[in-house]
Amino acid sequence: MRLTGIENRWAEAAMGAIFPGSREEGLTDIRAMDVSGFLGRVVASVPSKVALGLRLAVWIVALAPLFVLGRLATITSLAQADRERVVATLVMSRNYALRSLVMILKTMGALLYAGDDGVRARMMVPTKPKSLVTLRVKGATAVA
Amino acid sequence: MSHDSHHHDDHEHEHAFFPDEQLPEGSVVDGASLSRDVDEAFDFVVVGSGAAGAVAAHTLARAGFAVAVVEEGPWVRTREFGEKVSEAFTRMYRDAGTQVIEGHAYVPLIQGRCVGGSTVMNSAIAHRTPEDVLAEWDERFGLGSHISARVLEPHFDALERELNAHAVDDAVLGENNRLFLDEAKHEGLPAGKMRRYERNCRGSGRCVTGCPNAAKQGMNVSYVPWALALGARIYCSCRVDRVVVEGGRACGVLAKTTGEGAAKTVRLRARRGVLVAASTIQTPNVLRRSGLRARAIGEHFQCHPGFGLGGVFDKPVTMSFGATQGAESTHLRKTERIKLETIAMPPELAAVRIPGIGHDLMRRMGVFSNLAVWAVVVRAEAEGTVRQGWGARDKVRLDFTRRDVERTRKGTAILARMMFEAGAREVWPGIYGLPSILTRPDQVRLIEEAPADSRLFSMITTHLFGAARMGLDPATSAVGADFQSHEARGLWVVDSSVFPTNLGVNPQHSIMAMSRLAATRIAEAAGRTASAA
Repeated sequence: MRLTGIENRWAEAAMGAIFPGSREEGLTDIRAMDVSGFLGRVVASVPSKVALGLRLAVWIVALAPLFVLGRLATITSLAQADRERVVATLVMSRNYALRSLVMILKTMGALLYAGDDGVRARMMVPTKPKSLVTLRVKGATAVA
Repeated sequence: MSHDSHHHDDHEHEHAFFPDEQLPEGSVVDGASLSRDVDEAFDFVVVGSGAAGAVAAHTLARAGFAVAVVEEGPWVRTREFGEKVSEAFTRMYRDAGTQVIEGHAYVPLIQGRCVGGSTVMNSAIAHRTPEDVLAEWDERFGLGSHISARVLEPHFDALERELNAHAVDDAVLGENNRLFLDEAKHEGLPAGKMRRYERNCRGSGRCVTGCPNAAKQGMNVSYVPWALALGARIYCSCRVDRVVVEGGRACGVLAKTTGEGAAKTVRLRARRGVLVAASTIQTPNVLRRSGLRARAIGEHFQCHPGFGLGGVFDKPVTMSFGATQGAESTHLRKTERIKLETIAMPPELAAVRIPGIGHDLMRRMGVFSNLAVWAVVVRAEAEGTVRQGWGARDKVRLDFTRRDVERTRKGTAILARMMFEAGAREVWPGIYGLPSILTRPDQVRLIEEAPADSRLFSMITTHLFGAARMGLDPATSAVGADFQSHEARGLWVVDSSVFPTNLGVNPQHSIMAMSRLAATRIAEAAGRTASAA
């Protein structure tokens, strides 16, 4: 029940929208990591129901540009800013099932991303939070 | 060999070997590598190696019985513990950490599935069973003359001595815990350091992925190896299909190996009986698969939902150092049914809860070092069910009551206010419908005004109770006050599934004390003394 090639590309795009990396913060892009290999291991180790949920989440994000942006496109064909907008909209959805499913992608992505040695090392470095900015997403009301 | 001398040796040699190494030859049978079926006989067979099973096995082994322990998961040794949560989830957590309670909301449910059970990844917090809870068990279930503070006291004493329960040392308190204690003191909220089972904790902050120093006294490095040293044997990576009941008496278990390749059958005959300690979720289903039909089996499941919130401070908090959980307040347990506590999160789990997507998320991941996480734990009123679903999977259903959610909300508001008072620049409430980030104390009212809907709160559950509860009436309980099934002689249930209600405090200590009490009584009924400490 492994994800197919195109599902892996969609998943990678979705996770890239969530964890795009930041030169300023010294954080790498999740797409530089082995996203498909990681998801393959996840799918092999979780119950089939959870694997199905992950796959469903991938499809939802993949096709969401049509409903969120009104564009006949998949997540992979969008620019980074639009990908982020699509995923942010989904995790803020008023529909509990929908936002919970998409949060699976953030959860899985977090396990991979923050499990990376370089990212962990960067996260452990003390910083000055004065540089924090307000979330840019309009009407940000989600847990996200 | 006494436990004291054993522990002393550990310190002397600074872990030349860990307690889960150099075990007696033949004491560990790994189902993953078994090449043939097994058929062995013992006095007692214990199902499960977590807090309840390990203590029961040790107590019976100390009384001189031949004991077998069957554990569904593998034995992951101390030297194999890594830092990465995803690897720990896959190797040691049930369903790779994806198990959920289904209901109005989907609530993650965390259980260990390895030798030592959930004690491998919990914070080893020691709380005696509150006396008001025991009074409730007496009043509602008539258990007072069987289960009381006086009856449990010698068992708590022994456990605390053997596992070295004590308050967190200042040297490993860590800033997350210190901030909580300082602020609680400032506000006049009674609070204190947690008491934990540990020896020489180095504050690695890695409780959730397994203590790399074997400082945390999980069952994997304490009662399981101690039982093996006394002659017990453990069968790991073996899933119990059922307890064999013949002529109304339990006479063994049937298990299947869980490794790759064709499963082997492991038949363990029990001359004197079987103790089931597979946990609140797995025990009821084992009992059902064994042909027991008591109506209480699978009913009255209870838990403690927990809800954490983050706060960003100007100074480093550095959750990567210090006791994973080291500070708490039980002041509101009786009146509000809530407990306030700290919990240090590893980067992976924190990243799930850090607000934002994309570049906003990246900015906030950069302040992880300045993040504190505190949590509210609720003694929920809700009762649910445990069933066996499709493919023999465990299926747990529960809907939190409105009051459960209101209490969660109240505790969250208290913590948010404490965080601001302690100097937090931002507080991340993690409640859907609210701003992801609060920047002013007056915004805490938004938490207080949030709808009491469990779908809005990202709760998580680790403390599980009931589903095979104890009582005097066979029509409303699964086991009697002697822990024995109403339906099968020689079949005892000794884990928290027998607890008539939840506790409002961390349950490991109560689970171990109840199990030790049960095993001691079983040994005594068989004419032997388990030399209680």
